[in-house]
Amino acid sequence: MTALLVPAPARRGGRGRVLAARAARAPRGPARALLTTATVFLISSLITFGLGALSEANPGAAVLGETATPADIARMNHEFGLDRPLTEQFTSWLGHALGGDLGHSWFTTLPVADSIAAALPVDLSIAGLALLFAVLLGGAAGIAAARSNGGRLDLAVTGICSVLGTLPAFVIAIGLIAVLSVQAGLLPSGGYVPFGQDPGQWLRFAVLPALALSLDAAAGIARQLRTSLVGALRENYVTGAVMRGLPARRVLFGHVLRNAAGPAVTVLGMSVPMLIGGAVVTERIFNLPGIAQLSLQAAQQHDVPVIQGTLLVTVAVVLIANLAVDAGLLALNPAARRAAKSRPGEGSQP
Amino acid sequence: MRTLRRTLRLRTARTALPVLAAVALLALFGGALAPQDPLAQDTAQLLHAPGGAHLLGTDYLGRDVLSRLLAGTGDSVAGAVEAVVAAMLLGIVPGIASLWLGRVFEWVSLRAVDALMTLPFTLFAIAAVGVFGNGLHQAMLALGVLLSPLFFRVTRAAALGFTQAQYVQAAELMGASRRWILRTHLWSKILPTVAVTTAHALATALLTVTSLTFLGVGVQPPAPTWGGMLASDLGFLAQQPWAPILPATLIMLTVGALNLLADAVRDAGAAGTEPARARTAAPAPAGRPHRAGPTEQPAPKEQADAPLPA
Repeated sequence: MTALLVPAPARRGGRGRVLAARAARAPRGPARALLTTATVFLISSLITFGLGALSEANPGAAVLGETATPADIARMNHEFGLDRPLTEQFTSWLGHALGGDLGHSWFTTLPVADSIAAALPVDLSIAGLALLFAVLLGGAAGIAAARSNGGRLDLAVTGICSVLGTLPAFVIAIGLIAVLSVQAGLLPSGGYVPFGQDPGQWLRFAVLPALALSLDAAAGIARQLRTSLVGALRENYVTGAVMRGLPARRVLFGHVLRNAAGPAVTVLGMSVPMLIGGAVVTERIFNLPGIAQLSLQAAQQHDVPVIQGTLLVTVAVVLIANLAVDAGLLALNPAARRAAKSRPGEGSQP
Repeated sequence: MRTLRRTLRLRTARTALPVLAAVALLALFGGALAPQDPLAQDTAQLLHAPGGAHLLGTDYLGRDVLSRLLAGTGDSVAGAVEAVVAAMLLGIVPGIASLWLGRVFEWVSLRAVDALMTLPFTLFAIAAVGVFGNGLHQAMLALGVLLSPLFFRVTRAAALGFTQAQYVQAAELMGASRRWILRTHLWSKILPTVAVTTAHALATALLTVTSLTFLGVGVQPPAPTWGGMLASDLGFLAQQPWAPILPATLIMLTVGALNLLADAVRDAGAAGTEPARARTAAPAPAGRPHRAGPTEQPAPKEQADAPLPA
């Protein structure tokens, strides 16, 4: 137990720092959180819409091809609603989007919402599995490192985390394919079966992409958890618990982890955009029919409604993840709960 | 300057800087150093192992891997630098301005920053390329916009901490102009923080650039890039399982060196210029129940953005 009480050495880290900088904020009370989220969603949707509005895309010309007359093109653009004022376009687009209608693709004329609804479960199920891996791997590594604070295990975990922080997810994916698929032949190197169709097969196809995605987030979690655990283990209540004769495991899981998990949960939430960002490349590598492939394909065709739709849905997913993190932080930490109630927005005051 | 001198004395900085200097030289002169034309195809020697005429072997079209690595550094590094410069311009100026331009600007800019932080890098860059046309500049400016919140927050937080310092308030009371205060008091104090953020942002940008070029966004094949090389290696893992190691190592070394340098600058600066900031740099778990000792000042970085107007 004495090993738990050694002061913390200086922390080394990689991309976790960027995450941490993006993550530095207090948990909010529910009403305030919803208000902020709504504002942020509105601004993000404005950015997303602005992206399309700023483009000089001429879908009429693109769809109809070279033989179209200017009148045909103008009629087509009118059908797309592109001759209306921008404010009117934005309000109608956002209004429809909130009702679940993201418009139609300029090229396939399929409803964008349907394409996204078909692609999103792929990402969500794999991101969910990746989050699970990240929590398990990162949690175990962080706890192990904090317990051997300064020891060989700690050095190993810190070293591995630093290396993982310097590698993009797709390099890890390529490495995993090279070792586990090509050399060992254990898992398929690409493809997808929906979970609802055959959970066993789904797992076989999902393990590698999820693992590749999760390692970076796991490194971030391990680093944060290690730092805050080392700090929390020096608190007086730990010494008190040890003196009362509580077993080390009970002190760790019953007392310390609950207090120290906050920053790790924040990093977990902040890694959701990273997971989705990384998903673009892993989807390409593993040939998964996900939302990023949809967006990439749309980008190649300049299919603005699909591009806007995928971005907007991604933002919604990220915001929901953020809300979940806030709820998690409040549930974990009674003091933050009280602070959020009594003084909204200044939860970090002691 | 003091931070710079102190940084140079650290062992980590002495390891990181030569690596970064080498990468910078490669980026500038890599194309000229390449022993062969990076696009020339030697069809007699496809997927050749290292050795002989091709020092690091050839790829699936018989192109010289060493030449492609050397020539590919330029675009990858230039893209990351472009994104970070854009992010600095978009982040630092409003970050400092938000201290003085009143609550409305403050509120709007903070919400805009929140909104930008919800957008994933790669997807947004792809969207920008889809809308504005496929090119490295479009992708990198989009990435710069998404990285700017980092600079905005860090600069604002650092400046906010120091505007409450007594010597700054004294200068204000004596009637010093804001520009003068910024130049003499704030700027040198903010600079180390900005340097740390720049190194981290460069690392993140570089990783995103390699992801994008892997997808063929920004720079299209056959032009050599680190990401593009990895993409073409992916199809031939059974024949050349070691091929991805080369570009991956270059990425790892560069990003690792940037992270080391950032840590060194932070460690060197922490002693002198950031009096109130905890060394661990972990995001303070808000409302942590532990008691704040009498000597423990509130850290400006974590708290700067907390007291927002609702």
